[in-house]
Amino acid sequence: MTRPSYADPVDSHSQETVIATRGLELAYGHMAVVRRLDLALPRGRVTAIVGPNGCGKSTLLAGLARFHKPHAGAVVLDGRDIQQLPSRELARRLALLPQEAQAPEGLTVAELIRFGRQPHQGWLRQWSAEDRKVVDEALAAADLQSLANRPLEAMSGGQRQRAWIAMAIAQQTPLLLLDEPTSALDLGHQLEVFELIRDLAARGKTIVMVVHDLVSACRYADHLVAMHAGDVVAEGPPAEVVTAALVRRLYGIDCTLMTDPATGSPLLTNMRRTTEPLTGSAT
Amino acid sequence: MCQAGEARRPLPLMFVWLSACLAAVCFLSLLFGAGEIGPGASLSSLLGMREGAAQHAEEAAFVIHELRLPRTMLGLVVGMALGVAGALLQAVARNPLAEPGLLGVSAGSAFAVAIALMLGASAATLRVSVAQLGALGGCLCVLAAARMRGVGNDPVRLVLAGAVLSGLLGALTSMILLVDQRTADEIRFWIVGSLAGRHLEDLQAILPSLALAGVITLLIGRPLAALALGERVAVGLGHHPRLVRLLAIGVVALLVGATTAVAGPIAFVGLVVPFAARALAGPDIRRTLWLCLPLGPLVVIGADIVSRLVVQPSELPLGVLTALIGAPVLILVVRSQRLPTL
Amino acid sequence: MDLSSSSVMSHDAPQTDGAMQASRDEAQVAPPTGSWRLPLPFSAAHAVLLDKRSVSANLLLGGLLAVVALLSLCLGSALISPLAAIRALLGQGDAMAVFVVQELRLARLMAGLLTGAAFALAGCLMQTLARNRLATPGIIGIDNGATAFAVASVVGLGISLAPPPMSLAGAAVATAITFGLAGGAGTRGYRFIVAGIGVGAVFGALTQLLLARVAIDVANSAYPWTVGSLNARSGDAVLILGVGLAVGVVIAQLLARSMAVLRFSDAVAQGLGIRVRLCRLLALALAVGLTALAVAVAGPVGLVALIGPEIARHLSSRRGVPLVGSALAGAVLMVAADLAGRLLFAPIEIPVGIVTAVVGGPFLLWILLRPAARDLT
Repeated sequence: MTRPSYADPVDSHSQETVIATRGLELAYGHMAVVRRLDLALPRGRVTAIVGPNGCGKSTLLAGLARFHKPHAGAVVLDGRDIQQLPSRELARRLALLPQEAQAPEGLTVAELIRFGRQPHQGWLRQWSAEDRKVVDEALAAADLQSLANRPLEAMSGGQRQRAWIAMAIAQQTPLLLLDEPTSALDLGHQLEVFELIRDLAARGKTIVMVVHDLVSACRYADHLVAMHAGDVVAEGPPAEVVTAALVRRLYGIDCTLMTDPATGSPLLTNMRRTTEPLTGSAT
Repeated sequence: MCQAGEARRPLPLMFVWLSACLAAVCFLSLLFGAGEIGPGASLSSLLGMREGAAQHAEEAAFVIHELRLPRTMLGLVVGMALGVAGALLQAVARNPLAEPGLLGVSAGSAFAVAIALMLGASAATLRVSVAQLGALGGCLCVLAAARMRGVGNDPVRLVLAGAVLSGLLGALTSMILLVDQRTADEIRFWIVGSLAGRHLEDLQAILPSLALAGVITLLIGRPLAALALGERVAVGLGHHPRLVRLLAIGVVALLVGATTAVAGPIAFVGLVVPFAARALAGPDIRRTLWLCLPLGPLVVIGADIVSRLVVQPSELPLGVLTALIGAPVLILVVRSQRLPTL
Repeated sequence: MDLSSSSVMSHDAPQTDGAMQASRDEAQVAPPTGSWRLPLPFSAAHAVLLDKRSVSANLLLGGLLAVVALLSLCLGSALISPLAAIRALLGQGDAMAVFVVQELRLARLMAGLLTGAAFALAGCLMQTLARNRLATPGIIGIDNGATAFAVASVVGLGISLAPPPMSLAGAAVATAITFGLAGGAGTRGYRFIVAGIGVGAVFGALTQLLLARVAIDVANSAYPWTVGSLNARSGDAVLILGVGLAVGVVIAQLLARSMAVLRFSDAVAQGLGIRVRLCRLLALALAVGLTALAVAVAGPVGLVALIGPEIARHLSSRRGVPLVGSALAGAVLMVAADLAGRLLFAPIEIPVGIVTAVVGGPFLLWILLRPAARDLT
């Protein structure tokens, strides 16, 4: 199968919802961060959540992973409210990789990945042939076989992030949530991680990630969710939803939109701050 | 810093107000005690009324002049010294939590005294200078730790290190007391930290060093205020940060060593008093220091009065009360979202 | 091609054939590097992993404990040879030796061993759940809370409860205050600990206040116990501690796998299916309980809770939380410190709390002051 251009419009026939929100409201104390959200994310695709700082995108991701209890509404995973799923059951259905995850000192890559098997193990079932096989596959998928016994702190940022993703792979969940997986990485390491993410999507995993950088999101995601001040303001394939008006609304900048001749994804050029004041700009 | 714009109450007015409060508290301190001489008898004795049995009046006069008066005087001196020492140490360590008692300065001083006694020194002659040397050692430890990478810019970690140092020195002191009976007998009552049972002569022994400390403090007030803006700025303004810091540390050692020598280690006063003074006077160290003068004795004598009353007929060590007042303040400071750097 | 279903594919193979194949595979599943796999008889998939490094660390600590324990039976005002001590333990040999070993030293040894293990296990649990190696019960004021309450019952202020329940109550109160003030552990790092120090100072002052209110001889009898000593132990309290520790070790073992993941972060742990709040609450309750029971025997000997886990962590592998290793190391430390306190300045006895403070203080300073200190466990 030849890999399609990442930004190809999603084939509407194969589009099927894996995780959805119904009137979801997330709040810190009394301050609503995400408001009455109805969202349906497509199976087997890479969805990127974008928006300015403080728009609620990371909170939304935390809500999808049940890390943040909804104030109102529900998150529905494969037709079931996630609040009703037992913890381990949930961990077999979705994996969450938080931003800047920290591991105890001295842990090796293979040891980290083994922790991903915990939802499938028990006190009396600590290691099976299945575990062995899945861990090896995860190592291979993230191209980390040669680094398996290396301590995490002795690796580059990109390798470390791949090791964390490999741990999530070992969880064998159909759905993978990533919070800014490339936030602290330089350009080369960002590509390293994004390509791994595309790889996983090509093998049938559904991926939902929060991405800081709109251009990367356009380039590597099939489906874009743009948030502003707790609301979703646009949703769909990047090539369709990203417009100069959207960019201006999200970030308060004027720009010219171009199509990347190599990949067909949208590119922003000629960026400058919007001169006239915006109403309701990001706090 | 943030209040720079708003009008602040004038310093002299606050100083006078606090001094008036202090005078009132001193008066109360003469009236109340753990013993049989109640406030009424004390008052009539003070006013020169000789009513009732002559013997009773004589007893009251004795209690007031020989016990409560020295005690109140001592409270005045100890309070001023600890308050100023706390403010100075906080300015030098640039850390609002730096308190001589918490950071091991008092404990160093007590430990030095215990060691000196164990080695055969007699308590009466050497105590003050030994205590000051010990305090200096403690101060230098604090300063060294505060200037270490990773510790200096984390106010809370410095306090932890100081608490550990205090605990260590305290344990060593207890060990000496357990092993050496003579030392234990000499300093058993001193080591708990109290104003009770001290004499005016003790006070006289420390006055010279307190005077010296006062003079130096007056001299370094201005450069210290500049140091609060950062080392570079201070240099730019023509000051010598290193010298100023060393002098300030010397003053802290003089003050804490002297108070520890007479009253024993008393914790938390150096935290509470500058905290209150800063709240009233703002961030300028000079204003803070002035207000520490009436506030320190106010806290110490106030706590001392309470310590005489809560467990009558016996008394509570002063350190217990200052801990009960100071620990909540410590928690309050730590809880505030952003620790102000000094 | 489909990663998540590829493993399912292998199960889709013909059942009988696949099962046999699988069982043959399971019999020789290669364990991960550095571990032994101990197959369990229930099914092919049931197995327990033993970490080689942690097992050898525990063996080492166990051996050390045996040596220190034997020494503490032998040494004292009357010297008894190791062989005679072991014979005396079994009730044989010289009647005097039997009396000294069984009646005097064994009871003290058991008290030291159990309190050390309990303090250190509690410390390890606490450090893990707060993700801070300084967050041990002694440092955040729990020891002092337990002591204050227990002293209240010892000096008999109209409260006739035995020390263990009282110290439990005190520890619970101090924990609630510290966590309440700091707004939960793990989020504010050092602030949480300094709040705990403040709470500890208040309870320390309250203990002094209690002691100041009673007659001097009562206060004197309670004093060595407030600095931490095995001298004032009561047999009942030791027995209760023994039972509590046995239960505690079992619960800790059940929690061990979750605790290992709790070290990462709440988000990662929850992502791996751990019920973070429940797990943390259980570990906290366990740590507080163990600390309180140990305080009821020996008073606050807080530093064992810090140093024991530290030693165990250095010896054991990084993969898991060294719960058993911590308990063993704590027991070694406590017995050794008590022995040193008895022997160093004999006939004067230095309370074990002072010995551990003198030894542990510099160590703690080193943790705090070394450059680039990493405090996450």
